Amino acid sequence: AQTAKITGVVTEKSNGQPIPGVSVSVKGTNTGTQTDGNGKFSITAKPNDILKIISIGYAAQELKVTSANAIAIQLDESSNELSEVVVTALNIPKEKKSLGYSVQELKSKDISEAKETNLLNSISGKVAGVQITNSQGDMGSSRIIIRGETSISGNNQPLFVIDGVPVDNSQNLRSDGSRDFANTISDINSEDIESMSVLKGPNAAALYGSRAAAGVVLITTKKGKNAQGLGISVNSNATFSTLLTIPSYQNSFGQGANGQFSYVDGKGGGLNDGVDESWGPRLDGHLIPQFNSNGVPVPFIAHPDNVRDFFKTGYTLNNGIAISGSGDKYDLRFSYNNLDQKGVIPNSSQSKNSFLLNTTYKITPKLTFNASANYVNTSANLPGSGGKRASSTMLQFTWFGRQVDVEQLKTYKDANGKDINWNNSYYSNPYFVAYENTVGQVRNRLIGSAELNYKIIDGLSANFRTGNDYYTERRKIKIAYGTNGTPFGSYEEDAYTFNENNTEGRLDFTKKLNADFNLDLLLGGNIRTTTFENNDQKAPKLAINNLYTLINSRDPLISSNIYNKQRVYSTFGSAQLGFRNYAYLNLTARNDWSSTLPAQNRSYFYPSVNASLILTEAFDIKNDVLNFAKLRGGWSQVGKDATPYQLINNYSFTAPFDSNPQQNLSDTDLNPNLKPEMTKSAEAGFELGLFKNRVRFDFSVYNSNSVNQILSLDVSPTTGFLKKLVNGGTINNKGIEAQLGVTPVKTKNFTWDINVNYSMNRSKVKDLYQGVQSYQLGVDGSVQILATVGQPYGSIFGTAYARNPAGDIIVGADGTPQASPSKKVLGKYTPDWLGGITNSFTYKRINLSVLVDAHVGGKIYSGTNATGTYTGVLASTLPGRGAENGGLTYYKNAAGKAVQITSGVAAPAGATTYDDGMVFRGSLADGSSNNTIISASQYYKSLNNIDEASVYSATYIKLREIKLGYTLPDQWIKSIGLQSATISAVGRNLFILHKNVPNIDPESAFNTGNGQGLEDLGLPTVRTIGFNLNFKF
Amino acid sequence: CKKDLTDTNVDPNASKDAQPEFLLTAAIKNTSDTYWGTTNNMNSSLLFVQHWAKIQYTDPDRYIFSNTAFQDLWTIGYRQGIVNLNQLIKLADAQGNTNYKGVALVLRSWIFALETDAYGDVPYSQAGDITQFLTPKYDAQRDVYLGILSDLKAAQASLDPAGKAILGDVIYANSIANWKKFANSLRLRIALRIADREPALAKQVIADIQTEGGTYISSNAENAQLNYKASPNQNPISNLFDTRDDYRISKTIVDQLTALNDPRLPVYASKAVKTQLYTGVPNGLLTGDAAALGLTSTSKPGAYFIAPTAPAVIISYAELLFDRAEAAARGFTGENAAALYSQAIEASLLQYGISTTDIATYKARADVQYDASNYKKSIGNQKWIALFGQGLEAFAEWRRLDYPVLTPPVAGALNGKIPVRFIYPGNEQSLNPEGYKAAVAHQGTDALTTKLWFDVN
Repeated sequence: AQTAKITGVVTEKSNGQPIPGVSVSVKGTNTGTQTDGNGKFSITAKPNDILKIISIGYAAQELKVTSANAIAIQLDESSNELSEVVVTALNIPKEKKSLGYSVQELKSKDISEAKETNLLNSISGKVAGVQITNSQGDMGSSRIIIRGETSISGNNQPLFVIDGVPVDNSQNLRSDGSRDFANTISDINSEDIESMSVLKGPNAAALYGSRAAAGVVLITTKKGKNAQGLGISVNSNATFSTLLTIPSYQNSFGQGANGQFSYVDGKGGGLNDGVDESWGPRLDGHLIPQFNSNGVPVPFIAHPDNVRDFFKTGYTLNNGIAISGSGDKYDLRFSYNNLDQKGVIPNSSQSKNSFLLNTTYKITPKLTFNASANYVNTSANLPGSGGKRASSTMLQFTWFGRQVDVEQLKTYKDANGKDINWNNSYYSNPYFVAYENTVGQVRNRLIGSAELNYKIIDGLSANFRTGNDYYTERRKIKIAYGTNGTPFGSYEEDAYTFNENNTEGRLDFTKKLNADFNLDLLLGGNIRTTTFENNDQKAPKLAINNLYTLINSRDPLISSNIYNKQRVYSTFGSAQLGFRNYAYLNLTARNDWSSTLPAQNRSYFYPSVNASLILTEAFDIKNDVLNFAKLRGGWSQVGKDATPYQLINNYSFTAPFDSNPQQNLSDTDLNPNLKPEMTKSAEAGFELGLFKNRVRFDFSVYNSNSVNQILSLDVSPTTGFLKKLVNGGTINNKGIEAQLGVTPVKTKNFTWDINVNYSMNRSKVKDLYQGVQSYQLGVDGSVQILATVGQPYGSIFGTAYARNPAGDIIVGADGTPQASPSKKVLGKYTPDWLGGITNSFTYKRINLSVLVDAHVGGKIYSGTNATGTYTGVLASTLPGRGAENGGLTYYKNAAGKAVQITSGVAAPAGATTYDDGMVFRGSLADGSSNNTIISASQYYKSLNNIDEASVYSATYIKLREIKLGYTLPDQWIKSIGLQSATISAVGRNLFILHKNVPNIDPESAFNTGNGQGLEDLGLPTVRTIGFNLNFKF
Repeated sequence: CKKDLTDTNVDPNASKDAQPEFLLTAAIKNTSDTYWGTTNNMNSSLLFVQHWAKIQYTDPDRYIFSNTAFQDLWTIGYRQGIVNLNQLIKLADAQGNTNYKGVALVLRSWIFALETDAYGDVPYSQAGDITQFLTPKYDAQRDVYLGILSDLKAAQASLDPAGKAILGDVIYANSIANWKKFANSLRLRIALRIADREPALAKQVIADIQTEGGTYISSNAENAQLNYKASPNQNPISNLFDTRDDYRISKTIVDQLTALNDPRLPVYASKAVKTQLYTGVPNGLLTGDAAALGLTSTSKPGAYFIAPTAPAVIISYAELLFDRAEAAARGFTGENAAALYSQAIEASLLQYGISTTDIATYKARADVQYDASNYKKSIGNQKWIALFGQGLEAFAEWRRLDYPVLTPPVAGALNGKIPVRFIYPGNEQSLNPEGYKAAVAHQGTDALTTKLWFDVN
């Protein structure tokens, strides 16, 4: 048949607007084009050829070329639709129905309207099987885990890929544990994101090789081809942050011990004025000299909001502009975005300037060039967290005097330069800490790529791409002269340089074999080179005040530097065989050669296979109830290499003693016979569309086994090492995921959508290594987070109450509960299930969506509760403190034993009586009930030695997000040259609807590592409320 | 491409090889820091023997410890002490330098002794050999002490002042003659440690030393000690007092020194800021009661001990003389116990620069005289004073000699008892469960109050 030129126009079904940038191709060939700014295209085809019309975010269409040479095509916007096109591994767009695994995609609007400064947080509750943990405060790190932890000791967070370029998401925590540095993917500006595709685990991600075991998050940025009108889009967003949770404090007793307090110098010169606890006198207004009274007795009263008042309302301003345009031979999009955040902690701030340029240039009809560059400059002054005296925030407030008027601390030096503080034994004034002991962080990052695509012959094209992620980061860590505990202060400069290059060549082949079969083949190779450098210098004691240079030092500088380099060569291939429009078989294979493994184990191969079958098409069973049904399944295996330099033992240097250098054998016994880790995963699922897609259901079940893990096993120090690097250990993860979409109401003006996602993961550590029973993932004091054989991943192991066979707590002769001599498993941190439910309502131009998410099961150890109970600041320490709180009245006999004063027993003349007696409920060693009276402070302090007392259920339900948006009517805006305008009100983390742990947000952690389930004096989390404006010209 | 990948993985951050002198310095410094530092000295043994007391955060002084409290001696002793010395022994054998080997054996023996003195049964025969023993067995305390004695005998034989020179010795500035004296003095200490259990063996060890023509530490100038330097290589006690104010001198020792009008009182204690008196703090107070005494009305340890350059003393001449006095009193040697006892006191006073007149006055006191009818009491009391600051050794000797009679802690958590050992680090329960369980089965509950093998009464 004759070829003919066919022209057409593609419009959006809902509003008739033309859609630019739609890919139109002839199936089984590589003849293809894109629609222009007016949605028009022209293509050469033969009658009976199948035209394939694909655009991300829309349901794909196929139609047969007829004699007519001008055709009109309407595309339907797909929201979780069944025939949508999604981005898959190596950035290849595919129809979702052809995939044998689960993939879930988020659109621009899901991410950018209710913005978070850390991109990851905006995914919370929206994708089944994905767990986000926001660590603490309003500027910290966030952790993302897909389908549970598959590596016992390694990184369990997914690989991030932006437009085909793998990018870094580390936290770089080497130097200073006193700040929670944000993970580096938070550099990405959410306004630039077109879509985010979550590949859940090895089945979807096998082509990415080594780093796919934990899944991949594919980010596609906006391109110029979608430009409409002038192609200028302006976005402005302002949000305000306030504390979501803060501990509940008692306001009946102030600073001191034994009910006594009087301030002289705040370091023991007065009566208990060096004590940083609240076991002091009643806050009843009697007159006591205090820190701000110059020795004059003033009323001793509560300041119930003294901690809350330290925090401010934070705000974030986010302003961006994007310009895009396209012509016959090119398209481009440039965006600039500025983020300016002031945190809830005084003097904490963050700013980001982001520039992104995406361009395409069609050199010849066969040769296309794409280039992109994303430059991000991030600078932050991070709030102090953690437990260091010089820089912590909540440490000081959890060891605190409840009478302290924090307002009076705002000036931290008096006219004579003397420090003003409530306690001078252990702390510096909290405002001094916030304003003087700062950490400045600056990161400059450039993510860039260049890509050439050449259409060799019909059906065969070649693609070459090199992509690079480079950043340098410098941290300036200042501890001021005169800081309590660090009298000379210190200054540290910590610098990081990271670079990763991926250079890839690929051949794509597509062929329509006959009327029924269609084949897509891909063959490629990749070279990855990663270098990491860290250079840290510290002046441990400053010579003079207020000069932050490294040379201003009393002591020799403390220096360290690390240089790591890693290289991986890979070849890979994939094949997709399609039968008619309903059966697909996909195969992939990859082989890696990694520099980090010994020569004999360096090469490793891994395959995957998956298939999908559209039942409704195959058996022609479409009807009014069932309009779509798909079955899918697959199996895959991926390997994983080690970090660099793990093969040969070495000796490290420490600073010389006098003029004698010192050398120590390394902490880890390395392994010259290391092998790659392997994860094998099987997955099956089905998708259903019912009642004309008014009900959509997607269900997956998976089972993965990770074997031969590279474990840096903790060993007894008596072996001479702290760790031994081995291959060993198996962890099994199995679970289910379900997504349900329902549209209960859909009329011309009103739509109500419900989207529910649910996931449940069960992990089990099946074995470790040669009889080793547990592997430490994290630690806080005596609480360890372990991977223990036979237990779910992440068991919490700590001291428990000693109990008799009947289960009663054993109380010692001194009246305090006894700890069991051996530590016990007190729970696990991993949740039983996660769920999210989004209700969206659209009425004409107004839309409202509400997201509630739940984290059910799992435990958390709360150091805030443990410490706050010890120090008597928490409201939970009130019962028993004084007769008014139920305390028993007693006196102490000659032996110092408490004797209760009752109607029958009176105190001897002259004896002091107390009214804070408590009896710990439990049994003595002989089985009798304990009736020894102890003081309330002894009672609560004794709980601090027993970790079990501070382990709580981590369950929570949060009102995560509310968005209310209004799209201005065209008639209002067209006259002023606008294409569209939307305004919206957004709120994030609005309320914790349910939780079981008091005083803290259960969604808290130290950092993004595997040692989760530990909270200790973390910064309060925040609620944000704000407005978003978007104009398109 | 193969070679490229192999070259890429050559570690540019550390050395594959060690220098013997660098290992030696590191082993001495690491172990001394933990021996003299917070967890093993200030926050535990010095409190148990009532040299020091706590004025803030008094839990340790009341014997309330988490099971991570005694991690350091274990981790640093084995991980940074013993293993580096094992590497040094390998290098010494390879280089044929018997002096490095001898020095390494002496230091390693000292560390093993610290471990068993504190915990009881500990890994010895299988320790520090990860390729063979991933979970080393815990040897019985008797076997550990006998092993140490045999190692020290070998060390004494390896050390040869005429042999190859060594470097990196920050204790004796590379003097092999002094190391021989250190080796023998340590042998004498260990022999007495087992003397209540194995008197014949103990006697034999001392006889062996004499047969070998061995000499002991013979002056304060030969004390085995690490002399700290200015910051950042300052004494760990000094480092702590720079920024914290948790410790005071114990009322027990202040009372004892006052009763004896001991000229060491102004060295051991400083005057309370407010009162200008020497006021000790009773051990084991509740936090509130301790705080109520007032930080400015109680005495800190003396300036001598808080100085940046204060030494960490491993074995002093005074201790050696007390040991010889005890060996004589037990009939292990023919020496004069009373005379050695008197010389020991004199050596201790000289160690702290006390004038000869004051020494004479002190030695003349009736309550300082040697009591031949109860050598344990005389030696126990005076050795306890002489070992001030050396918490771990004072703790071991108090348990063995049962003198002085210490005051029960005011609000101790052990029913009026004082700890007689350290508990094992909690993570041994997960890292070496078999070894740990066997040790507990053999030795008794893993509690502070479980008596060790050497501690007979």
